[in-house]
Amino acid sequence: MRSFSEFDPIAVTIWFFSVIGIAMFSGHPLVMSISLAGAILFFIVRNGLRHGRSHLFFLILFIVLALANPIISHNGATVLFVLNNAPVTLEALLYGINSAAMIVGVLYWFRSFTQIMTSEKVLRIAGAISPKLSLILSMSLRAVPMFAHRAKQVSDAQKAMGLYNDDNIIDDLRGRMRVFSIIATWALENGIITADSMTARGYGTGRRTQLRRFRFSSSDAAFTLVTLALLGVSAAAVASGALDFNFYPHIEADVKGAAGISGAAAYGALVLLPVIIETEVSIRWKYLQSRI
Amino acid sequence: MIVIRNRDLRSVIKVAVPFIIVPLLTFAGSVVFDQKRHIIISLAIAVMALLLFAAGFERKTTGSRRLVIVSVMTALCFAGRFIPFLKPISALTIITALYLGGEAGFLVGAMTAVLTNFYFGQGPWTAFQMLAWGLIGFIAGLLAEPLKRKKALLLIYGALAGVGYSLIMDIWTVLWYAEGFSVKLYLGAIVTAIPYTLSYAVSNVLFLAVLAKPFGEKLDRIKTKYGV
Repeated sequence: MRSFSEFDPIAVTIWFFSVIGIAMFSGHPLVMSISLAGAILFFIVRNGLRHGRSHLFFLILFIVLALANPIISHNGATVLFVLNNAPVTLEALLYGINSAAMIVGVLYWFRSFTQIMTSEKVLRIAGAISPKLSLILSMSLRAVPMFAHRAKQVSDAQKAMGLYNDDNIIDDLRGRMRVFSIIATWALENGIITADSMTARGYGTGRRTQLRRFRFSSSDAAFTLVTLALLGVSAAAVASGALDFNFYPHIEADVKGAAGISGAAAYGALVLLPVIIETEVSIRWKYLQSRI
Repeated sequence: MIVIRNRDLRSVIKVAVPFIIVPLLTFAGSVVFDQKRHIIISLAIAVMALLLFAAGFERKTTGSRRLVIVSVMTALCFAGRFIPFLKPISALTIITALYLGGEAGFLVGAMTAVLTNFYFGQGPWTAFQMLAWGLIGFIAGLLAEPLKRKKALLLIYGALAGVGYSLIMDIWTVLWYAEGFSVKLYLGAIVTAIPYTLSYAVSNVLFLAVLAKPFGEKLDRIKTKYGV
């Protein structure tokens, strides 16, 4: 059993986009709560209790977003109080909280997505869609540290020759501009040489290979199938209106019928899938360690 | 991927997708579906436009030299996004578009959005940033001749591009928050984004004023020396 982040990037991406898609599409408070709670749980399962700053930032963002709506929108029947001659309503406040839960939830999901989907994995997916774009991406990724290294060399050489010193702001700025200009010229020329070298070695004549081997194994397939099945159930519930929710003018809160309940349950299961996998893996790991 | 062999048809599609089909679909989407679906529709359209572009690009026999130049410019933009407050991305995208054509401009803008978001965080906004920056480059490519001739026009275009970028991203913010377009929220978003809008516009003008000539010379030189 592999941990969730070791699954094939395609399987991981399908799962993330399913979870995020439903969270953005539905708008039902129950789904929002599942998404937000699941996203935080997933983040904590993967990172432990580190990243306290991120949590604080998300908390502040949540409060700001939740309060923004009742201040701007005055729809809704239940007036809580009047502020500057404008009514602040309960419905608008709840709507704001709901929107905030959606946005902060999706932000958490994407935070985890960025952690798991390293650039190498994204290149694998981009390569499946467009090998050329994927090549541009990977070459740029490689070029950045190369430029930084080169810039340091050029700047050192210029300083050694006494061309600029950095205690004078104007001199420093002009020196930096000169270094940047040198780097740009060099980068373009160097790029042409790289391109010629690529052509000489047969770029474009065969299929592009990857640094790491990715194999879409049977467990990836099983995971993807389960993901798609759960996505199907919850998407059907959202599309049929079983998970609709009206805030204005009155709150009509109900999960309609079996479709709504099964949709929310399926979404819950979908969200928890990787947490279950991670937990299973860590339990097995501890068990194996305990026997050494 | 989709193969379009007819050259005329391809060039028509290239112009029609960003300027006619995308706005039309957005409009149709907002009429057919109720407000809630705005965000999904706009996202789907952004992704579709990008995919169509990728498909067209994939079909073309682009020389490896051109590819590498685009990736070098992307890397330079990437490095530029770490400068605090001032962002040279749009300026460099525009310069690339002026000298290497609209397609290269679109690529540099769109690819920079993906790349930098590996550091700043990917999100649903990535697609919109790709489209916004890409279009800034693409339109600059279409207007290349007048922009190259008159520096004042170039600076005005840079300022407009900065403001336009901010306005597009604000639409997205509102759609995401309210699940439907609200003018009031949009105005609110614009007001809170004023510092950013200003910083975009100012950095575009500043970097275009400083970089347009030297960078243009460099790209022109490469073009004549190697015939890219």
